[in-house]
Amino acid sequence: MKKRFIMLLTAVCVLAVVSSAFAHFMVVYTPEIAVEQAEDMDVRILFTHPAEAGHMMDMGGVEEFYAMFQRGDSEPKKIDLKGYLKQIEWSNPGSKAPAFAGVVPRKEVRSMGDYVIVMKPGYYYEKEEDIYMQQITKVVMNVGGVPGNWADPVGLPCEIVPLIKPYAMWTGNVFVGQVLSEGKPVAGAEVEVEFMSHMPDLKTNSMPEASSVEYPHDAFVTQTIFSDDNGYITFGIPKAGWWGFAALGIGPDTEHNGKELSQDAVIWVKAVDMK
Amino acid sequence: MKKLLVLGLLSGLLVLSVQAYAHSPLMSCFDNGDGTVTCEGGFSDGSSAAGVSMIVKGPDGNALMEGKMNQDSEYTFDKPEGAYTVVFDAGEGHGVVIDGANIVE
Repeated sequence: MKKRFIMLLTAVCVLAVVSSAFAHFMVVYTPEIAVEQAEDMDVRILFTHPAEAGHMMDMGGVEEFYAMFQRGDSEPKKIDLKGYLKQIEWSNPGSKAPAFAGVVPRKEVRSMGDYVIVMKPGYYYEKEEDIYMQQITKVVMNVGGVPGNWADPVGLPCEIVPLIKPYAMWTGNVFVGQVLSEGKPVAGAEVEVEFMSHMPDLKTNSMPEASSVEYPHDAFVTQTIFSDDNGYITFGIPKAGWWGFAALGIGPDTEHNGKELSQDAVIWVKAVDMK
Repeated sequence: MKKLLVLGLLSGLLVLSVQAYAHSPLMSCFDNGDGTVTCEGGFSDGSSAAGVSMIVKGPDGNALMEGKMNQDSEYTFDKPEGAYTVVFDAGEGHGVVIDGANIVE
């Protein structure tokens, strides 16, 4: 009996350790980010561990949701999209949490050019570590093939600025980005990388249990890279699909509600197979 | 000497064609819902389409309206009654034609 109990305890401990190794990722998801002609854009916003369809977390609401639009070298324009969001419940295997869904009408995104979509969530309280987290997230969409501001900083408290079109990557391309905090490069930033191995299902607002990837070891679930002296990160994309990059604790805000705050910068990119 | 000239011409052509490829013309139009249509132009390298000639043609190919892309690479015109096509004419090999039937709100 005692032996069994100890075994169980050990298992629980191991489980706890393993689950704390999962990376937190704000997910801002829409199925296509390189579109010929805009349609109504279905969007979901959730906070989870996307490589494992893991634990769902309450992001603490959405503070800002907008797109910075630019076609060619025209004046960039801010398009507020927050009004299109409504709260939903997102279900992952074994876990549910409030999330957000919206349909951005075509008229908001029908112009050719780049749409740097920005989502600033509220604050998530991580009980185990007694800290708050806020992951400011970007995803860049292009309509019609005319490029714009995809490589320009938005001017967020912290962000990852891509140096390769994040909506036009082939499998095998190298993602290059610069990690910025208050517009300045962050040297030695710890950046976690995850693959969306459980594709979001927009009909059921859930991630499936089955993974598209077999992970040989926990270290492969969340890969870790560091920015160089000038804040640059480089990462070869080995598989088609969605890749998330999260630069941890780099933002200027370090405290919320009297507790430690990790203000992170996230960007999602999509790679496509050459056919 | 003559060979050199030919080589020079060839490489000149090559540069031209490469440039043309890197600057694909692009146009997108939508119905504003108020009896007007707006077309936006651009190039795949992000360069401006300001000043590019625009032609709105009727079913028999006759020009109903002619104009130019404005500073913002846009051209707005009154929607014709019948069938029409819009031509973005940025020079030889740099045209885009859109059928009015495909222009929606």
